[in-house]
Amino acid sequence: MIDLNGVTCQYGGAGDGTGITAVDEVSLTIPDGEFLIVAGANGSGKTTLVRTFNGLSTPDSGTVAVNGTPVEDDLVAARSAVGMVFQDPRDQLVAATVGADVAFGPENLGRSHGEIARNVAAALDAVNMTGREDDRIASLSGGERERVAIAGALAMEPDHLVLDEPFTGLDEPARRSVVERLEERRRAGMGVIVVTHDLRDVLGLADRVVGLADGRVAVDATPEAAVEALPELDVRVPVSADGDESGDS
Amino acid sequence: MTLAYVPGNSPAHRLDPRSKLLVQAGVAAAAYAYTTPRGLAVLTLFAVGCLRLAGGDARDVWTYRFAFPVLVLAPLVAGVTLGAPWFRPDRAATTGLASYRVLLILVVAAGYVRSTPVRESRAAIQHTVPGRAGQFLGVGVALVFRFLPLLKRDLLTAREAIRARGGGARPVRERMRLVAVAGVNRAFERADRLGTALNARCFAWNPTLPRLAFGRADAVALAVGVGLLAAALTTVL
Repeated sequence: MIDLNGVTCQYGGAGDGTGITAVDEVSLTIPDGEFLIVAGANGSGKTTLVRTFNGLSTPDSGTVAVNGTPVEDDLVAARSAVGMVFQDPRDQLVAATVGADVAFGPENLGRSHGEIARNVAAALDAVNMTGREDDRIASLSGGERERVAIAGALAMEPDHLVLDEPFTGLDEPARRSVVERLEERRRAGMGVIVVTHDLRDVLGLADRVVGLADGRVAVDATPEAAVEALPELDVRVPVSADGDESGDS
Repeated sequence: MTLAYVPGNSPAHRLDPRSKLLVQAGVAAAAYAYTTPRGLAVLTLFAVGCLRLAGGDARDVWTYRFAFPVLVLAPLVAGVTLGAPWFRPDRAATTGLASYRVLLILVVAAGYVRSTPVRESRAAIQHTVPGRAGQFLGVGVALVFRFLPLLKRDLLTAREAIRARGGGARPVRERMRLVAVAGVNRAFERADRLGTALNARCFAWNPTLPRLAFGRADAVALAVGVGLLAAALTTVL
């Protein structure tokens, strides 16, 4: 479970409250296994907010706890419990080959060679890339890189998987492939948190939608209820809340 | 072709990284011990052989071209005098041979980088140098080899972006300035993003490193490495 209590994040300023407020007094509880969408227009604070979940950003005030432990007390535990997939997977992939990259996280957690091999195999299987261990990262398409980035996070066996704008720059087949992978994670009981300004691909999977505006929670509702309010936040939504028919807001 | 590991099944890929490091050390020592044109000619054949055994070719050496201007200019600068005769060919030749030695080491290094995953290099160092010092060196190697290919890609992207907007028609000096400015900016951004990525994936001082094991082929590589070091030592003893 991820617990946020009164989280505020600012950029710039001298630490005296004069900076730009990206996240403003946000309190949330995200139970294990929940499929949550964090929606909002560009600059609404979505990415800054989710980066606090595993300590990549530190709040200026408020607290974030993962499974009851404040994030800053055990960063390794927080980062292994909350896997993060960045907006641009090229920022995340740190090795030359697929297998080495997916193994990077479990190696850092000090797992045994047998565990690492199992984690890598399971993670690649989960993203439909079994047998691609020796492929060069540089030779992969955008969709494949996204899937390797997801596998890299899954290999650490997180409780929650956070994906920051996972569909940016992907064509339709690649988007569908990522959505299918997320559906599988949801069925497997993993918590999934998708950060997006376009809900058309994922609204049908969601348990809850949180909409941000100017760093504040403007909407916190079921997908059916949220779909009415989100267009006002410049978020694209499907025509029907189950996500079947796509349309612009 | 690349400053990064290229998966493959060449003889060099099958060697333990420690054997390859020993051969590299041997080549470096021999290159500084045998400075005659004949000695360097023999080492040239050896260095090219090492690169070929890693499945590499001239394109791999070309990736080190950023060092070439220094290697070429050094002999010219060394030969210049402030008075008559204004240029001393003997001095230029000595420095030229030194530059050539560096080139030979780069050729062997290209074969090593091409055939050795970063984590195996890190494991080899941490196995060889125990304790915190080994961990520190291993982390340094891991970061450098992860950062350099990204930096190279960013510089190439910056150059392409300049060309795509007609920048290729500008004077060389202006283009160099533009690429350098864009490159420095991107290097800082890249370092920031790489740091975040490593943090997100719990980059550790002491991770589980891959198992290393010497095979039969390593016996040959180790013998070659020791032989080169011994040959270098005989010139100073």
